[in-house]
Amino acid sequence: MTERVLVTGLGIVSGIGNTLEETLNSLLNGRSGVGIVEYLKTNHTDIPCSEVKLSDSEMFSMLSIPETSPVTRTALMGIIATREALTKAGIIPDRSMKIGFVSATTVGGMEKSEQYYPDFLENDSRNDFIKVHDCGACTEVIADYFGGFSYVSTISTACSSSANAIALGSNLIRHGILDIVIAGGTECLTKFHLNGFNTLMILDRAHCRPFDASRAGLNLGEGAAYLVLESEESARIRKANVLCRVSGYGNACDSYHQTASSPDGKGATLAMTQALEMSGLKPDEIDYINAHGTGTINNDESEGAAIMNVFRDKIPPVSSTKAFTGHTTSAAGSVEAVISILALTENFLPPNLNFKSKIEKLSFEPVTVLKRNVKLKNVLSNSFGFGGNNTAIVFSAENFSKN
Amino acid sequence: MAVYIRGIGNISIQNTFLSTGIPQPVWYNEPYVRCIDPDFKFFLNPLDARRMSKLIKRAIITAKASISDSGIEMPDAIISGTGLGSIDDTEKFLTSMIENDEKFLQPTFFIQSTHNTISSQIAINLKCYGHNNTFVQGGISFECALSETMMLFADNKIKSALVGGYDEMTPAYFKLLDRIGFWKKEPFASQELSKSNTNGAMAGEGSVSVVLSDSKDQKTYAEIKALDLLYMPENITNSIFDFLQRNNLKSSDIDIVVAGMNGDNKGDSIYWKIFSELFSETSQAAFKHLSGEYFTSAGFGVWMTANIIRSKFLPSFVSLNNIIPGKYNNILLINHYRNKNYSLILLSAC
Repeated sequence: MTERVLVTGLGIVSGIGNTLEETLNSLLNGRSGVGIVEYLKTNHTDIPCSEVKLSDSEMFSMLSIPETSPVTRTALMGIIATREALTKAGIIPDRSMKIGFVSATTVGGMEKSEQYYPDFLENDSRNDFIKVHDCGACTEVIADYFGGFSYVSTISTACSSSANAIALGSNLIRHGILDIVIAGGTECLTKFHLNGFNTLMILDRAHCRPFDASRAGLNLGEGAAYLVLESEESARIRKANVLCRVSGYGNACDSYHQTASSPDGKGATLAMTQALEMSGLKPDEIDYINAHGTGTINNDESEGAAIMNVFRDKIPPVSSTKAFTGHTTSAAGSVEAVISILALTENFLPPNLNFKSKIEKLSFEPVTVLKRNVKLKNVLSNSFGFGGNNTAIVFSAENFSKN
Repeated sequence: MAVYIRGIGNISIQNTFLSTGIPQPVWYNEPYVRCIDPDFKFFLNPLDARRMSKLIKRAIITAKASISDSGIEMPDAIISGTGLGSIDDTEKFLTSMIENDEKFLQPTFFIQSTHNTISSQIAINLKCYGHNNTFVQGGISFECALSETMMLFADNKIKSALVGGYDEMTPAYFKLLDRIGFWKKEPFASQELSKSNTNGAMAGEGSVSVVLSDSKDQKTYAEIKALDLLYMPENITNSIFDFLQRNNLKSSDIDIVVAGMNGDNKGDSIYWKIFSELFSETSQAAFKHLSGEYFTSAGFGVWMTANIIRSKFLPSFVSLNNIIPGKYNNILLINHYRNKNYSLILLSAC
């Protein structure tokens, strides 16, 4: 380790709030964002999702961007969350700084492509949107709204994408390539994703129930979340408010099946073990696990097995917050990183909503009610993607934080 | 920490697959060209191959070829770059969803449309449990993958890695980009692409897998000394000068400079300016007149450069100024995508 990586700002927009404060309030008051879709135009109105409670028009107006601009909903949400993270950290990106933007998305500009594809093929009416279809272009639209970034990168590992963005951002700081990295991900709901997940038959028609014996699938969500990652020296010079430290991360491949996790949770076990190793922590020093916990039959059992592999008979409090936010796919890693850091800095354990009865094969039950005034030092956030792309990150409290 | 290129597999619009060295070129006169594919059935189990998209087939075949070329049995990490993933399957799912109004959809095309399916399928095929990642940063996706790999080597987290760049050019995606002026409309000959002086590039596609290791053997191609990624640099000449300085080199220490000229006169003028400011006496070369332009074409550039270093020979059909290099110690590969994303890769003899 050459450099410690500090977190000095957070920004988030999801079904449970358009700001960090709203998100915290929803978590503390058990308010879920899951419900009937209002903004996504789909025939599958019977499938509940967690939408960001803003129309595109409202977002364009909040950001003073002309509505005709080739900016997708994914990019709009990304800009809103990035703007909050930068504001919270007191940073205006500038070419004189070594500052980068690392984002994550799975389907990039698909939200517009799925509306305009016949035009793309037949006429010139939607040409502006052709260029913003690919994932990297989506990241550039966000970066260019602010300007000043000299490094831009995009990761796509399905539902662990933004966790890998945080890991990459941390590496760029540790290696001295950059001083500050805004890292996270963004993904809006699309018909493409909703129909895709629907063909896999893993969408629950009711509110999802992670880690519950009766769980029957996930609820999709949308959102964006970014962390300001900063080198110790840069944070010291700027007198930044330090929220916590990224103390370790691990990435491993389950190598089992393209859309299913292994029954023994091999990849997840490896990812968590590596994250602990890098952080120099023993399993019993982890005070809370924010699980990937999608609510599918397969994930929760496999992840549970992996947690049991790593933590044995001393399993820390575990919860999945996906019944709050829905599964925000590419953004889930950073959405849940923000929730984990809120838990760490505000001293609470977020509850796992909708849990009633334990999964038989698992030795533990999730946290079901909000616990406040819990002193947390180290929290672990799990993010797993299709294809076995498993990533785990440890965030640790900093002694010289705001208290 | 030294990082060496130990093995490469390359399916491209040239006869590169299983070729030792750079083969005699195939020249083109049209902007839409597809890969010269090997017969997939000789390389893939038919049961496995049944559901694979063409891009995933190519990726697995080049991955295995690079591994067998390297003599390293199992890489510690699999890191890929792809601008679009399996765009063919994405289009199939999208078209079916639109035409059938969200009904009667099959999961296979959706699953394969996800960009990380390439890295995952390679991992599942090899049974590799190591670090696995996918970069999708448009025209520098391959270089982003390479950049993360270099950091993992420096951290001693890995001793070997399989890094790849994979993209396909479907007729529909070609048409879309043609609509917004990406491709050549004027007649051209690919052997003179860098001098065509007209708008637009020649398109291409390809699958390049590279096995990297912290150790070398007698067959090792080259060392990857350094890599920089730049977003909208204010002055690229200064950035290159700074990159060389950080690696204790002057521009005269560069034996060959290889540029990602794609035939688009606007984008190519940037390379000519860099040449005149820093490398007027240096041997200059190009590669996209062989590979065509696609999001991960830099992978082809690395394959070509590695072969030039190992064979100590610069074929005349890639040279731009007919200066025969005196040495083959340091080659600088410069690539940019539409004047936004830049990469600089320094490869050295080992």
